[in-house]
Amino acid sequence: MDSLLSEKHRIVRRSVRSFCEREIRPIAGEIDREARFPWEVVEKMGKLGYFGIQAPVELGGGGLDSMSYAIIVEEISRASGSLGLCVTVHNSVALYPILAFGSEEQIAKWAPPLASGQKIGAFCLTEPNAGSDASGIEGTAVADGDAYVVNTNKVFVTNGGVADICLLFLKTNPYDDPGEISVVVAERGTPGFVVGDLEDLCGMRANPVSSIRLYDCRLSRENLLGRAGMGLKIGLATLDTGRMGIAAQALGIAQAAMEEGILYAQQRRQFRVPLAKHQAIQMMIADMGTLVEASRLMTYRAAAFRDAGKSFSQESAMAKLFASEACSKVTDMAVQIHGGYGYSKSYAVERYYRDARVTRIYEGSSEVHRMVIARGLMGKK
Amino acid sequence: MGFHIAVCVKSVILEAPAEQVIRNEDNSELNPFDRPVLEAALRLKEFYGGRITALTMGPSVSLSALLEARAFGVDREILICDPGLAGSDTLATSRALAAALRKLAPLDLVLFGVRTADSDTGQVGPQTSVALGIPFVGMVQSIEWKQDVFRVKRVADHFVEEYEVKGPAAFTIHPGALVPRDLGLAGIGRAFQGDRAERWNLRDLGLQADRAGDAGSPTRVLSMKRVTKTKQCEFITGDALEQADALMKRLSESGALGV
Ligand SMILES: Cc1cc2nc3c(=O)[nH]c(=O)nc-3n(C[C@H](O)[C@H](O)[C@H](O)COP(=O)(O)OP(=O)(O)OC[C@H]3O[C@@H](n4cnc5c(N)ncnc54)[C@H](O)[C@@H]3O)c2cc1C
Repeated sequence: MDSLLSEKHRIVRRSVRSFCEREIRPIAGEIDREARFPWEVVEKMGKLGYFGIQAPVELGGGGLDSMSYAIIVEEISRASGSLGLCVTVHNSVALYPILAFGSEEQIAKWAPPLASGQKIGAFCLTEPNAGSDASGIEGTAVADGDAYVVNTNKVFVTNGGVADICLLFLKTNPYDDPGEISVVVAERGTPGFVVGDLEDLCGMRANPVSSIRLYDCRLSRENLLGRAGMGLKIGLATLDTGRMGIAAQALGIAQAAMEEGILYAQQRRQFRVPLAKHQAIQMMIADMGTLVEASRLMTYRAAAFRDAGKSFSQESAMAKLFASEACSKVTDMAVQIHGGYGYSKSYAVERYYRDARVTRIYEGSSEVHRMVIARGLMGKK
Repeated sequence: MGFHIAVCVKSVILEAPAEQVIRNEDNSELNPFDRPVLEAALRLKEFYGGRITALTMGPSVSLSALLEARAFGVDREILICDPGLAGSDTLATSRALAAALRKLAPLDLVLFGVRTADSDTGQVGPQTSVALGIPFVGMVQSIEWKQDVFRVKRVADHFVEEYEVKGPAAFTIHPGALVPRDLGLAGIGRAFQGDRAERWNLRDLGLQADRAGDAGSPTRVLSMKRVTKTKQCEFITGDALEQADALMKRLSESGALGV
């Protein structure tokens, strides 16, 4: 596939991979075991531009395109799913909506620290009673003078434990128009802004996923992103990009699992030959390779559509659905090839297997994606 | 114009091919021994100001090495590319590089990698400086610059040698001298916004065809064969101390350890 990429994208892959191999891969197992967010590496990633991949260079970003973005998320996730998650959420569902829907002042205020990784961003949509059905959110922002008084309980917030800038989806006219959903930006440290306990997750354990709660928190009305009532529009636009990021993440995890699977199959001997000599193992290797390459094509296609300025909702939804499901299959096969050792924390495939699982759930579950895709195919809105 | 550094880099083949060498984008990469060279140039530029020009001689795929150099912060890139340069040995390569470097004058410093990962002769740096008639120090570990004079250190045979060299001078940089920085995304974005690298051919260099490429190369590679390694296992006996002594002795006798 890389043969079809431009010189720029090859250089992107080469340089990011070399960084990840040296800085991230060696600690990926440890940060997962300790559920630790590796600030020391995150700082370096920030300096290199990984937190502002597509943000303009003048704002401290990398000024790159969506294809570069997909490749970078893939490469980081190949080393650590948790950090891939951190980067994709930060870039595509926190920084991007600020750049796309923010006013000049808002961009000047929030984009530079986000793009340089000095501040971490989060996207807060999910609530205890609103998961797949985003319209069911209950959090409110009630206008009071020049402020909104915000009350909400946002759960499963990726980067929650470390985020400084949080995009909150709230009802901004709860009494007169309960359907008016808007995005309001909250900064950590504002009185009434509380970071909840970290989730004790199955995978992605190095990402500090937590709840974020706001109690009578007064946020300036200047923190409204776009206009009141634009929440779902911002959400949808953001998720199109976000989904492409999750597809890239699943792709990276699957790629890593496949590589480990092949390596192990060539080293481990049973019945006097390497596992790789057994046809049943070769079948798995062939399937892993095909699933990974198909995921890659779909993910890069979504990115190419976006770079060409075409609509890419359907492409990114299909890529996310396919790549996340493929990732589960590939990591499962990689564990199978490792036998009992694959079920042990001594081998990286055990982590890939856990990390893979959630890619089918967040930013829209597989079921929701099938709904969206079918609707698109049948021409209904 | 300020301090002007030229770095000569090469795009190398990653894998040793079984038979004929066909270079393409997939198997070519910036020579790993040139990365510390770029790093040295970038640090000198950061410290003393000035500008860096990167040169490479090779087929069009070598452009990628120059773009990578640009992404790191090199100011000007020149691809020396001409069908008449095909088959150049190190002497012909040095001639072409020297001709290009003359065109780039005034230069204060010319930097090279110690060797390349795919040819491994180590001759191009020294030969080019001879062709230019400028002083040369090999395997340099550190460089300081004071009004046209360079102070450089190198380690040889367990001694630190310090030289004072008048510029313009040429050095090869020891691969362990510095840790090359990581490439930032903004640099990559910038590298692909500007103009393409300049291309110079034989005519631009003012080189006669019989002084370049195959025709200008006295070296003939007669054959290339893969070396088959034979492993021999030897057990060292005795108590731990004796084993350690015996091991050290074997390693140093075989040249694997410099003690
Ligand atoms: C590690 C992690 C990180 C996360 N990060 C974020 C974040 O940063 N920001 C954020 O806002 N959220 C985040 N989430 C939340 C995530 O997006 C939700 O978990 C997801 O949208 C599903 O919602 P739910 O968990 O409430 O499940 P539910 O919506 O209750 O769904 C349960 C099951 O029912 C299915 N289902 C629901 N509706 C339908 C339907 N109409 N037809 C068929 N099947 C249906 C679902 O597919 C699923 O299988 C994160 C979650 C995790 C686990």
